[in-house]
Amino acid sequence: MLEQIFDNFAVERMLLWIVLLPLAGAVVNGLFGRFADRQMVGLVGVGTIGLSFFLAVVAFLRLLDMQPEGDAEFVPLQYSFYEWFSIHLRGRAVPIDIAFVFDALSGVMTLVVTGIGLLIHIYSLGYMSHDRSFARFFAYLNLFSASMLVLVLAGNLPVMFIGWEGVGLCSYLLIGFWYETPAYAAAGRKAFVVNRIGDFGVLIGMFILVAVAGSFDFASINHSSYSGAFTLAGWEAGTLATVACLFIFLGCTGKSAQIPLYVWLPDAMAGPTPVSALIHAATMVTAGVYLCCRLSPVFVQSPVAMSVVAVVGTLTALVAATIAVAQREMKKILAYSTVSQLGFMFAAVGVGAFAAGFFHVFTHAFFKACLFLGAGSVMHAVGAHGDADIFKLGGLRSILPRTHITFLLSCCAIAGVPMFSGFFSKDEILLGAAQLGVASDAAFLSPSIGWFVFGGLAIAATLTAFYMFRLYFLTFTGEYRSAGASDGHGSEAHGSGEHGYDASPHESPASMTGPLVVLGVGAVCVGWLGLPHLLPFTGAHLPHVWGEWLKPALAHVEFTPAGGDPLTAVNIAFIAGVSAMAVGIGLAYSMYANKSSDPIASGAPASLYSFLQDKWRVDELYAAVVLRPVKGLARICAWIDQTFVDVLLTKVTSGLVTLSSFILTRAQTGVMHAYGFVMALGVAGLMLWFWSPHPDVMPVVKGQNVEFTAGRGLGYEYRWDLNADGTFEVPSGEHASSTFGSKTFGSETSASHRYTPDDFRGFILVAAAILGEDIEIPLSEHAVVLDPEVLGPDWQVSGDAALPPAVRVEGNEVVIRPNSAAVYARGKLVSEKEVRLPAGSRLRIGQVPMRIAPVVQATLEVRNAFGNVARETVDVTIDVAAPAGARAEVVR
Amino acid sequence: MSIGVGEYLALASVLFGTGAVGFLVRRNLLIQLMSIELMLNAVNVVWVAFNRFYPERHDGQIMAFFVVAIAAAEAAVGLAIVISLYRLRKTVETDKADALRH
Amino acid sequence: MTLFWVCAAFAVAGAIGTVTARRPLRAAMSLLVHIIALAGLYLGLHAELLAALQLLVYAGAIVVLFVFVIMLIGPATWVPSSTGGLSLRAMSVAVIGMVASTIAVALGRYEAFFGKSPAHYGTVEGLGGALYREAWVPFELVSITLLVAIVGAVAVARGRTPEEAARARQLRHERAAANAALGDAAGSGGNS
Repeated sequence: MLEQIFDNFAVERMLLWIVLLPLAGAVVNGLFGRFADRQMVGLVGVGTIGLSFFLAVVAFLRLLDMQPEGDAEFVPLQYSFYEWFSIHLRGRAVPIDIAFVFDALSGVMTLVVTGIGLLIHIYSLGYMSHDRSFARFFAYLNLFSASMLVLVLAGNLPVMFIGWEGVGLCSYLLIGFWYETPAYAAAGRKAFVVNRIGDFGVLIGMFILVAVAGSFDFASINHSSYSGAFTLAGWEAGTLATVACLFIFLGCTGKSAQIPLYVWLPDAMAGPTPVSALIHAATMVTAGVYLCCRLSPVFVQSPVAMSVVAVVGTLTALVAATIAVAQREMKKILAYSTVSQLGFMFAAVGVGAFAAGFFHVFTHAFFKACLFLGAGSVMHAVGAHGDADIFKLGGLRSILPRTHITFLLSCCAIAGVPMFSGFFSKDEILLGAAQLGVASDAAFLSPSIGWFVFGGLAIAATLTAFYMFRLYFLTFTGEYRSAGASDGHGSEAHGSGEHGYDASPHESPASMTGPLVVLGVGAVCVGWLGLPHLLPFTGAHLPHVWGEWLKPALAHVEFTPAGGDPLTAVNIAFIAGVSAMAVGIGLAYSMYANKSSDPIASGAPASLYSFLQDKWRVDELYAAVVLRPVKGLARICAWIDQTFVDVLLTKVTSGLVTLSSFILTRAQTGVMHAYGFVMALGVAGLMLWFWSPHPDVMPVVKGQNVEFTAGRGLGYEYRWDLNADGTFEVPSGEHASSTFGSKTFGSETSASHRYTPDDFRGFILVAAAILGEDIEIPLSEHAVVLDPEVLGPDWQVSGDAALPPAVRVEGNEVVIRPNSAAVYARGKLVSEKEVRLPAGSRLRIGQVPMRIAPVVQATLEVRNAFGNVARETVDVTIDVAAPAGARAEVVR
Repeated sequence: MSIGVGEYLALASVLFGTGAVGFLVRRNLLIQLMSIELMLNAVNVVWVAFNRFYPERHDGQIMAFFVVAIAAAEAAVGLAIVISLYRLRKTVETDKADALRH
Repeated sequence: MTLFWVCAAFAVAGAIGTVTARRPLRAAMSLLVHIIALAGLYLGLHAELLAALQLLVYAGAIVVLFVFVIMLIGPATWVPSSTGGLSLRAMSVAVIGMVASTIAVALGRYEAFFGKSPAHYGTVEGLGGALYREAWVPFELVSITLLVAIVGAVAVARGRTPEEAARARQLRHERAAANAALGDAAGSGGNS
């Protein structure tokens, strides 16, 4: 029965509701939330995202139903709601629809966003229950969900960009949620500004892609990237793909916190913990990985871009992991861990293991959300505000049993303990890198990239296991180090300053531990969706559910490990993964289990430790290299502003205003006759205007017909000479309304005429512009060499043509001498010295489509009631059909 | 010679000019009010004359009707002001009513 | 045609008489002549109902109102002819006169002659029907305007009752005292 309902239900239309429901929740809570009680706000906030989740599940089940049999082309669920707007590109309209696509890639992301989003909404009910701005929080959170869903469901780049900017905005709003604290507001600003740099990259990349592929749709862009339609003015497809992908990747480094733009994410922990879990761990920060996967067919066209992605991802994973080792605050550690794990994902994308990278997105969403929520639960329990210093915690295992067990499970997952979710996804990534390494004849990427990524990630994985268990041991084992704290303020905010925390912590409410349990189970189980295809050592095959799902949505780089059998790579990856986990956890156990001090702080060289603790001093580096010059420039600008602009604007302007007001006040005499005098002058001016008629002819071209319309006025009468032969055809005898001497006028304000070649008075060459208005080039009897500036760069096909074509008019035809350009007319390349074309012909110079348009002339005489006559002559470029056989092949 | 819109327009402009001159030159508030009535009437002539030129509808006459109604309202309020001014200043000379000047 | 020229002559004569009369009562009588001449013009334009209304409202109400006020105020309605600013006055009058006469001559050349008018054009039935069918909303709004004008006229012309006058005097004294306390600068701003 359920299936029947699905069949009768337009699942495609539902995609809109998946987005609109959270948006509606945001609007309702944002506008009316402050007047409603908390239960109502919570119901709206959680209910909308819950319904959205339900719809997403329905859509996903439908999608699974639709998997094609055999080699049939896979068609995802998609729906185009309406055309938003369209741009004019090389004489063609490129529409931009509000269109959503639900395939395996966006489907999984939608499930993650709505599912984990729902859990975090529920968690927030408890976590934010004492906050003043409860409704505002839920409004932002719902708005974020809606934006993120737009981002993942978008079927084209501009719609995705709406979501991209929307999540950036919500991130900014939520990081600075407690904006009363200046530091938090500054963190929000930092995130926003850093993301702007990335957004600039996305925009440029988007423009390049649309210029190259001629479409904004992901499907069309991806298809054109491997079907050879990837061209722009003589550039090579690979170069274009490299440039576009690097710009897109710049955007991804901003949104997904990669080197060099990762610095905002650790500061973003200023926001409430559920925000950190949802936005800055599970969903928004993975948008970059998602975008790379979405455009994977384009990325694989460019080995350079892939290598850059792989190297940047690996370096980020390593750097962030080393920083995380030396941090003291829970959320800071988790933040750097997130940066590091995002590096893993990008490294996977860079070596072509898109499915593995995206699998890590999926599993990471569960265990990292669980870790953040667990940290939030700990902070809630001990009354920490903002962040919690792990050296003032400890022994919470028995106090917070549910939080403890879920936190432990998630730590195991992220550290890569076998059979936990993180183990499978991390193993896939290492496998991808190792496969690239062992493939001795890989034509795609160099094997050294593979080994570099593999080595870097193995070290990063070791560090991950180490710092995560350092965090776990310091927080949950040993003695509670704030037990004797003198501060009795309960849960009052006092940060991680001199004082300890609440002396008697308590377990969090069920609304918080419930989501923790669900996420903890997820952290263990979701990895089983991606069981390895090939088991290590035995070489046994397992079905790879995850890879099969994603296959239609991703580009596939086929690795052919010619040097040995595929089992080698699997074994290497497995051994590296397991030993990294074992070494990391073992070290952490020996150093931190039941301890309260930090052996690294005392054992490692002090300079190295402080270097790590200061986050490699990257912020300081940016301050010195970027901020200082900018500030200097700003100071210069400020000086110019104050010395010149302000003087101009304030002194000069105010002087002018004073002067003119002085003059104008003289006019306000209060003497009535003076006003009458001025009024009379105005009336006289009006009279002058009405004295002679104003024809104002507006031609409307409809192919060979032109309809002229003249302006109306008091007592206007008209007569028309439509073909410039000196006789006025309109009005003809019976329609005349009055006759003055030899002139006959009629009252019709419009006249139309069908023009034949006898009426043509000249020719114009009309070039379709890449953007905006067409370019019109007037022609004459004398040959003119076309101006390359006017034609734009596309007139050259190979880039070496020196002289553009020359054009002249001869009788009723246009003669084109191609010179060294490629001119296509009558459907083929012009090989003769000259070609004669009649009016209406289509031709193409290089990539620029053109047509030859005739010009006609019409004259109007208007007589008004004063007996005065005015005459206006207009030239009109008309559009005639090409004579048979003269229609040229139009570009693409 | 027949009569058309032009003649009525010419008459209306003469009447309007007369009214305007009267309003500007005279300092007697009563006569200024009458001059305003002259100007309103001049406009009414134009409305009615043009309506006669396009006689399918009554729009011009309807407007003239409203102008008459508004003129009545204006006269009532204006004359009330005359009486009020007379109470205050014992005169109806507008040059004497300059309390709000500058 | 004769009707037009006769009525036009009377209308212009009435207008000039209104503007130039020394005594307000004579001005009012000239206005009456002008209005009756206009009613004649309206008749010539087939605006019968409007001609009747012109007589009713202007002659019957407005001119009578003017005459009432002139009677009420009495000799004070005579304003002596002005002495100052004569040259400016003359100049503006000349300009306005010139512009108006030029326009009159120009518009006189405007050649748009009247055709036949429909059967009910301008009659009570025609204009009344149009008024109530197409313009009933502004019609009702005009009635509200008239009501407001009546209330306003009463409010303005009524003057103060003795109690109100006493209250106003008291307020004036208080304000003067306050101004005095603030010093000369504030006090000189008062209405003296």
